[in-house]
Amino acid sequence: MANDVVLRTENLGKKFGHRWAANDINLEVRRGDVFGFLGPNGAGKSTTIRMILSLIAPSTGTVELFGHSLLKKRELALANVAGIVEKPDFYLYLSAYRNMQIAGSLTLGSKPAKKKILDELELVGLGDRAYDKVKTFSHGMKQRLGIAQALLCSPELVLLDEPTNGLDPQGMKEVRDLVRVLTRDRGITVFLSSHLLNEVEQVATRMAIINNGTMKVQGSVQELLKAQANRLSIHALPVDKAAAVIRRFLPEESIAISGEQILVTVDTARVPAIVTALAAEECEIFSVEPKHSLEDYFLTVTETN
Amino acid sequence: MLILLYTECIKTFAKWRTYIGFIAVAILIPVVIALMNLEGSRFVERQMRGLANDFFITGNLFNGWLIAQIIMNGLWVHVPALISLVAGDQLSGEATGGTFRLILIRPVSRTTILNAKYLVTLFYTKLLVLSIAALSLGLGLAFFGSGDLVAFDRDMVTILPESQLWLRFLLAYALAIVSMWTVASLAFFISSLVENAIGPIITTMTIIIIFLIITNLPIDAVEPFKPWLFTTYMNVWQLAFKDPIDWTEIARSCGALTAYSFCLWGATVLIFRKKDIVT
Repeated sequence: MANDVVLRTENLGKKFGHRWAANDINLEVRRGDVFGFLGPNGAGKSTTIRMILSLIAPSTGTVELFGHSLLKKRELALANVAGIVEKPDFYLYLSAYRNMQIAGSLTLGSKPAKKKILDELELVGLGDRAYDKVKTFSHGMKQRLGIAQALLCSPELVLLDEPTNGLDPQGMKEVRDLVRVLTRDRGITVFLSSHLLNEVEQVATRMAIINNGTMKVQGSVQELLKAQANRLSIHALPVDKAAAVIRRFLPEESIAISGEQILVTVDTARVPAIVTALAAEECEIFSVEPKHSLEDYFLTVTETN
Repeated sequence: MLILLYTECIKTFAKWRTYIGFIAVAILIPVVIALMNLEGSRFVERQMRGLANDFFITGNLFNGWLIAQIIMNGLWVHVPALISLVAGDQLSGEATGGTFRLILIRPVSRTTILNAKYLVTLFYTKLLVLSIAALSLGLGLAFFGSGDLVAFDRDMVTILPESQLWLRFLLAYALAIVSMWTVASLAFFISSLVENAIGPIITTMTIIIIFLIITNLPIDAVEPFKPWLFTTYMNVWQLAFKDPIDWTEIARSCGALTAYSFCLWGATVLIFRKKDIVT
């Protein structure tokens, strides 16, 4: 339903000089989603998030948050939105409490309640460090403080850009758990940008993949991976000869070549016939593997020719 | 807006660099006063040497008022550096620290945030000038007492009666604040263009020095440019010690300085509203 869409971008793009950092990005994030925004480093994830949060002005396209155009009604559009863009930075010479107060004041238009600030700090495990200067905090603590300040004003949509970057495995798990708590207990929609596929696979309900500044795919994680159920990676040499054999069985659009791997979408019942044909044509068959994981899917989308 | 002013005050006054100006003033002024104390009335005698043959001067001319005026004259070139230390950090400091990403994603317009920062910058500038006033007048009057003021102005000496001096100094410091607000506006503007804290200080001082050199060049070729340089009006505060006070010239100078500040603020708004935050 249209009302359920909390974030929509249409043909969103940003050009730096002659280079498009992001181009023609069409996103749709629905209420309650944990939306994974995937892409390799430099794919344009942060540029897109910066445009959504009005840190940079788009060269093309529009952003709509909760039905309000970011360009025309910026204050209304951002009223229920919070985020962390790349690494969370703070006023290092101020305490965690003061930083929270500053961030909260800008959203609320008045000083946030002391109890609310302390509660959020407690939630992220910084309750006992509230009055310490942020310059004494580790990277992980700053990351958690970033999440606390994002939650302070009870947002309905939180954008997290690489929230586990630089964290140890324990820290990463804590952030993942926190994301689950946000959606389950507080009903917050989370837009999670990451290049860590495992992270997204564990928490995301919907996702989009971006590469070289353009969006490759968008949809429910379950559905996208389900479509992968018939996906196989065939490692057979020589590749050209093997591909020609496979083309006898499958249409061109079902075949993609990535290095020495031939990625095919095929009904599993036809696999023995293909393998037999490859062997008959004296192709060297090294492996035939199912490709079901998000990682496989991601690589298929971002690496295929 | 009030809450933004409050948070900007917290940010500005929690920084160590904000106090460098006050510390410098708190050290320099007592040092100057101590040196003047050692120098004694020889200073006035030296300045008045040319007049000693024609005038018979009585009373305490080496007093707190004179000290305050000398300090004001002496510090005037250095105060802009202290002001740009804070004004030049207001926007570039946020860019360097990455904290624009914390504040500019909030549902508050960039212009409102910028205005809060600008007002706090003007407040800091005012506070610094007032601290110079309080220290130089307070210590000067406490150590050297009161009396008439000998105002030296190039080839002229004006003796101003003690009864007028509070009002004249009040006017002088008010005009000094207007003048320094222009310097603060310039540093603030440059701060919106760069992403490091030192650039605005150096650039502001470079501009002031170049403009001052042009302003003081006795060459006809640069005369047409002088009315367009704010440094031409920067010493407007000295007009408070003319007799009679040239109110037309004061209004003209203040108008030019205010117009300069307004244009710099306007340019900063235009740039900041469209600035891409990529740090």
